[in-house]
Amino acid sequence: MPGLIGPDRFREVAQGALELTGVDGVEVLFMHDWGGLTRFAKSEIHQSIFREDTGIRVRVVSHGRVGVAAANVATPEGALKAAKSAKELAEVVGPDPMWPGLAPVAEAPQVDGRYDETTAGSSPESRADAVAALIGRCEPGFTAAGAYETQAIEIGVANTEGQFCWAPSTQASLTTVINGGDGGSGFAETFGARVGDVDPEAIGGRASDKAVRSQEPRALDAGVYPVILEPAATVTLVGFLAFVGFAGRSYVEGRSCFSGKAGETVVGANIDLWDDGGDPSTLGAPFDFEGVPKRRVSLVEGGVFRDAVYDLRTAKQAGTASTGHGLPSPNPEGPFPLNVFMGTGDATVDEMVAATDRGVLVTRFHYSNVVNPMESSITGMTRDGTFLIEGGEIVGPVRNFRFTQSIVEALSNVSMIGREAELASEFFFSASRVPALKIEAFNFSGVSDH
Amino acid sequence: MLDVAKMAVEAARRAGADFADARAGIDETESLTVRNQEMEGIDRDTSTGVGVRVLVGGRWGFAATSRLDDAEVTRTAELAVQIAKAAQRLPGDPVRLSPVEPAVDSWRSQMAEDPFTVPLEEKVALLMEATRRMQTVPGVTFAEGGLDFFRRSTWFASSDGAAIGQVVTQSGGGIEAVAVGDGDMQRRSYPNSFRGHIKAAGYEHIRTLGLIEEAERIGREAVDLLAAPDCPSEVTTLIIDSGQMELQIHESIGHPIELDRVLGMEEAYAGSSWLSPGDRGKVRYGSDLVSITADATLPGGLGTFAYDDEGVPAHSTPIIVDGMFQNFLTSRETAHVVGQTSNATSRADGWSHLPLIRMTNISIEPRQGSLSEIIGDTDDGIFMMTNSSWSIDDKRINFQFGCEAAWRIEHGRLTTMYKNPNYTGITPEFWGSCDAVAGREEWVVWGTPNCGKGQPGQVGRVGHGASPGRFRGVQVGVR
Repeated sequence: MPGLIGPDRFREVAQGALELTGVDGVEVLFMHDWGGLTRFAKSEIHQSIFREDTGIRVRVVSHGRVGVAAANVATPEGALKAAKSAKELAEVVGPDPMWPGLAPVAEAPQVDGRYDETTAGSSPESRADAVAALIGRCEPGFTAAGAYETQAIEIGVANTEGQFCWAPSTQASLTTVINGGDGGSGFAETFGARVGDVDPEAIGGRASDKAVRSQEPRALDAGVYPVILEPAATVTLVGFLAFVGFAGRSYVEGRSCFSGKAGETVVGANIDLWDDGGDPSTLGAPFDFEGVPKRRVSLVEGGVFRDAVYDLRTAKQAGTASTGHGLPSPNPEGPFPLNVFMGTGDATVDEMVAATDRGVLVTRFHYSNVVNPMESSITGMTRDGTFLIEGGEIVGPVRNFRFTQSIVEALSNVSMIGREAELASEFFFSASRVPALKIEAFNFSGVSDH
Repeated sequence: MLDVAKMAVEAARRAGADFADARAGIDETESLTVRNQEMEGIDRDTSTGVGVRVLVGGRWGFAATSRLDDAEVTRTAELAVQIAKAAQRLPGDPVRLSPVEPAVDSWRSQMAEDPFTVPLEEKVALLMEATRRMQTVPGVTFAEGGLDFFRRSTWFASSDGAAIGQVVTQSGGGIEAVAVGDGDMQRRSYPNSFRGHIKAAGYEHIRTLGLIEEAERIGREAVDLLAAPDCPSEVTTLIIDSGQMELQIHESIGHPIELDRVLGMEEAYAGSSWLSPGDRGKVRYGSDLVSITADATLPGGLGTFAYDDEGVPAHSTPIIVDGMFQNFLTSRETAHVVGQTSNATSRADGWSHLPLIRMTNISIEPRQGSLSEIIGDTDDGIFMMTNSSWSIDDKRINFQFGCEAAWRIEHGRLTTMYKNPNYTGITPEFWGSCDAVAGREEWVVWGTPNCGKGQPGQVGRVGHGASPGRFRGVQVGVR
């Protein structure tokens, strides 16, 4: 297995670009990643891969003009070549009036536990054995599909202002859908920094239980229902709200559902949301892709909108400081939060079910997308475990619903919040820690056939 | 680079592979984005590496690396063999590959003017002028324009003796105007949303787009949308333009006909399909007017090539004929399930990924009449243009699409403009309600450069020939 290239070698590689002459500034973003993924379907391993790649992305500033060039090399010569290409691009464009300058020197916090040697060195044999253990939990007549991925990545940023930061991290995720019998399926996943925290038998058991209970779903009319969202469903609402609500650029430009609403109550008083890339219980580097240390940002506190997140450029637009949420340049979309946390409550999912006279329990959503960003409305489908609740009990599976729902309205109707939060991801690079929710009114706008 | 691919194949065979193929590749991109006559982003990217795929005891292994020295390529090939052997720790049916004649060939996609050699100043000037023209319209808040150029060079070798070099060049561009006001935001794009119109072509394609000429109209429509009423909620006749027809085909036909989805190989992530392997020739997918072809030989398509990433020569395959479903998209691994050989749809997102079944150019066959004639033949309904949003379930049955703009059709004429239009439907019911498809004069080969599939996630570049179409009894204005 490959190993870390390390900060010393990264410094040597970056130096090749930082020594480019005749420019105002240079920034080098370095990423080296490797890992394997074992994919299974019908309870067989059908795709199993390993890949390693190294990338540098060089941003050059020349008289306020900015160009970017990237290549997957890790040599000083390759970095210099990319820097020259970026300079060539910068010279044909006009000055950026909002150019904020490169990140100043600032020490990023050290976060323990983000890099695990065992995870970085995971073998295909160990992943295959874990998959076998998961599949072993399938009931007769059922099969499992899914993926077990182990990854390592080291990220570094260096610039001519003297900023230098480097951090390694690892990630292990195991996801499965078990189906069979007379139709219906069950989903479970785990997601974290260490393979040691992955319990394949537990994941297989949870998905198998849901699959068995999902057999022969009945059609329920579309309409507005109380819903209980498990964490894998909650993360869809939180992930899209991060995109349409808390993104600094759309916020300062009046295109966010929260533009102009700082200090206003926007959702229920029981909702707290914050972003904290430095929290040990989330994933990723403690600095952003511009080399700015990540700061804890209060997004919503007691239902009141506080602020969005910013990179260097949008911070200048907003007249504030970067919160450490820059993405790889160039990035016309601007920053958005990648490590969102939702405050927990005091309920279990069982207690939410017991407190529901008639409603729907949702395991997860599928293929969601924005309908109207200014209204924070999105649409998507339920999937892999959707159940009717009557009289405080789950009475059986139902066919999957399409929902069309404003996230802000949904979070204004939360009556119970789970006491445990789970790490889940709606988009690549993001890792949010969210609890289960009971929402009193949720709009199912259509029904599918399964 | 062909030598690198051959070296990987030979190393894999020495390590015990029963079969091996390898792709050495170079991907090059150049992208420019201008907003309100200021450069938002200009960048170039190059990615080089090799991926080797092996079969050992009927199980796949795949490994890829960006380092191309002999020792690293050999180590990567040996790792692929180790991965395949690890897969044997679970029981399962061995992979059966359909036969293919090993080709020794080279091919380049059609291109008149290399987009990577066109001066940057010319590209920047085009976007500056297009955004300036949009900004002349009062009420336009943001005027944006972008150009994207992509070149993939692939050298393929297999243990069967194939040795193929291919170079594909693609160019695209588009503009969009955004109007913001009173807590609302509206957007109009041209020629299509999400970075415009991209084709397998050179810079000559950019010169035909009319980005400057259409800029003011797009700006006016964005501003007009701000003042327009919301699309009403009703069941009505729906006409969609060819740009929206592109995505309608992509999501509700292109994906469910992928045989790997049908067989459950994508079950846990993107999902499966409402179709079954035995449905060929038996299932009515749409009305008699709906005929769909998968054609990897179509000039200009993003799914156009000479050989797929398994070395299978490009095909044109009838998918739906006069409404009846006929064929799946297949690979060498899956084709035997339906008693066929591969129809050449196995493609990877570059050297670092395993090939998967991907759409080629999945197109609706044009019928007759112009868009204006179809509208003129419609007494009451809604006309929608330009996709803004999409969502569909895991079996590709229940879908919902949003568009940028819509107009009421009254007695054959477009009248009231509506904002925030969307519609929903059930795949076979929707296509079954199609009673008009416009003719060749309205047929456009669109590109979808962002099709997601697989784990790790892969981005596919696929094409769709599409004409406007009319559908009866559709739920629009979903709330």
